[in-house]
Formats: sequence, structure tokens, C-alpha cells
Amino acid sequence: MTTKSLDLDPKGKIKVRYFRLRNRLKEKASSGQVREPGKFTMKALEEAMAELEKFAEDYPDWVQGQVRELYDELRKAREKEENRRASELKRINDIAHDMRGQGGTFGYPLVTTVADSLYKFTGARAHSGESHLEIVKSHIDTMNAVIKERVEGDGGILGRELLTALERAIEKFS
Amino acid sequence: MDYDLGLFTVIVADDNAYMRSLLKTVMHTMGVGTVFAVNDGSEAIETLKRVGQDPSRGGINSVDLIMANWQMSPVDGLLLLKWVRRHKESPDKFLPFVMVTGYADMGHVNEARDLGVTEILSKPYSIQSLTQRIGQVIERPRQFVLTSTYFGPDRRRRKTESRLSDRRKIKQEEIEIIYDDEIS
Repeated sequence: MTTKSLDLDPKGKIKVRYFRLRNRLKEKASSGQVREPGKFTMKALEEAMAELEKFAEDYPDWVQGQVRELYDELRKAREKEENRRASELKRINDIAHDMRGQGGTFGYPLVTTVADSLYKFTGARAHSGESHLEIVKSHIDTMNAVIKERVEGDGGILGRELLTALERAIEKFS
Repeated sequence: MDYDLGLFTVIVADDNAYMRSLLKTVMHTMGVGTVFAVNDGSEAIETLKRVGQDPSRGGINSVDLIMANWQMSPVDGLLLLKWVRRHKESPDKFLPFVMVTGYADMGHVNEARDLGVTEILSKPYSIQSLTQRIGQVIERPRQFVLTSTYFGPDRRRRKTESRLSDRRKIKQEEIEIIYDDEIS
């Protein structure tokens, strides 16, 4: 639908154009019964949830690759001068952003919580000194433990202990 | 009425292989007939151009929905959205676009909204939140609005959201309403 009507004539009097189009998606999804409210079948929803479960089972194995990459970037950052660590911290920040979006989807909300914190600690204006790298390391260690021990949900007592240990590390190195 | 999405074609764009595979699998499970899973925005653009030109698919408008992650490299979800809505080669500027993102703050949400996103699916997501967004796209499409500064679905979802200041600025004769058959 590339059309002239998508250009406003700057000299013309029209300032707003509203496009009221047929609902083609609904027509397709409902064999033309556009007035009836539609829904996904229970079978489709159950199958989709079963597929998500399968992905969730393999998630800890798959995500270990990202954890290894985090440790690798941290090692590279440590080998550099403090003021030359921006690219490694940016990569850590990107991975943290990715991981915070995944964990909860696969039943590991603690991964999301810790990755979210790591994302905030590695933002554009974050420090890059040795003590700050210790905070980064504590986050990676915590996520590594959550994944290796398969700490699902809030993790109960173990989950609380892991988060408390992380909080103490942040306090110590801040 | 139960949905039959067998005729649907969806592009799933994510540079995270695991998340991409999950979304593709779930789409198929929910009955979507054709899913193109691509690595980033540039591959999505190539797919849109290719599908749009394929005569066996009946020409334009063959893709029904894009589900794109915001953070992708080299071309991210926001650039892809901008291309779909504004680029002269875009085969369908009205294409429904769901942005999948871990950015939940209002700044990011408004940025996507101002570029014409249809729905935002926040990560982490569940099957419930995913199907709720797709259901919203199917059941409640919004009219599109073109002004000198914006093109995309009406950002005011409810009539009560109409802003008094906007009403004062724009007169009735400055508004034009276009229906399907008037689009050439």
C-alpha cells in the first residue's frame, strides 16, 4: 500500500489523515466471521505451553554459553587499563539485557532479577575500576550458581541466600 | 469462534537463536501456517521484499505480522519498524508490528510508540501474554493516523484519551478519512 495518500501535501489544508481499513487479519483468522469474537483453542494453548516447557528444560544448558561469554569478557576487561574497558562492559551489558528477558520466560526469574541488576551496573555511565569489576563478577557468579543448581522460581532458601550474598558483595565493593 | 491461522504468514526476527527458535515453534503450535525466522532487521527487510514480490503468494500483503526483538544486530527492531512504516520500498506500511523487548521503561515504550508500533510484548513473557498480544492485534486493530510528524496506529486507544489540546488545534476541515477502496 505505497500510495500518495501517505504523503500530506504541505500546502494543502489537510493536517490529519485517518485510515480506516478492513480488518484483514480477522477475516483470515475467522473465515470471514469478523463480528464474532475469536480465541485460541485450548488445545493450541496447551501445546504451546508444552513446547515452552521443553525449551525450559534445555535452557540451563543453552544459557551456559552466555555465562561463559560473560566470564570471558570480564577476563578481557581485567587485562586492560581501567579506562580501556568500555567495549567489554558494553558487551556484558548487552548480554545482561538479553538474559534478563529470558530467565523468567523459562521459569528462572532469579536469572532475570540478577541480570537486570547487572544490566544497571554496566550501563553507559558505569564505573570500570577493579572494585566495580568485582561487583560484575559477583553477579556472574550468582547467575552461574542459579543455572548450575537449576534454581527455579524464587529458589526458596537457596534463592534467598544467593541474593543476600550478592547484596553483601555489592555493598562491600561499592 | 476458534482462530484458524493456517493462512497466516509471520516474520519472527531475533538474533538470539534460542528465543527465535522458541517463538517460531510456538507460532507453529498455535496454527500459524508460515513462519519466517530471521536473524535481524536486515534479514526481515529482505524477506518482506522477497515475499512481497513473489507472484505465487498473490503479490503484496503476504506477510500478516512481524514479531521482532528490539535488541538485534546489525539492524535492530526499531530501525526495522521505521523501515516498515516509512520506507518507499516497504510493501505494506500498515503491517501489524509487535516489538518484543526487555526494555520496560516508559522512555523506550514511548520511543517505539512514536515510530508506529502496534503492540509491545515485554520480556520475560508467558504463553498467556504472547497470545494476549496477538489476540489484541487480530481483534482490536486501530485506525492509522498520518500527520506531519507521525504515521502509525492511533496512539490513543480509547475515545476518552483524546486530548483537548489536539482538538483545539485541528479543525474538522483539516481532517480527512480514508477507507480501503480509496487507497490506490
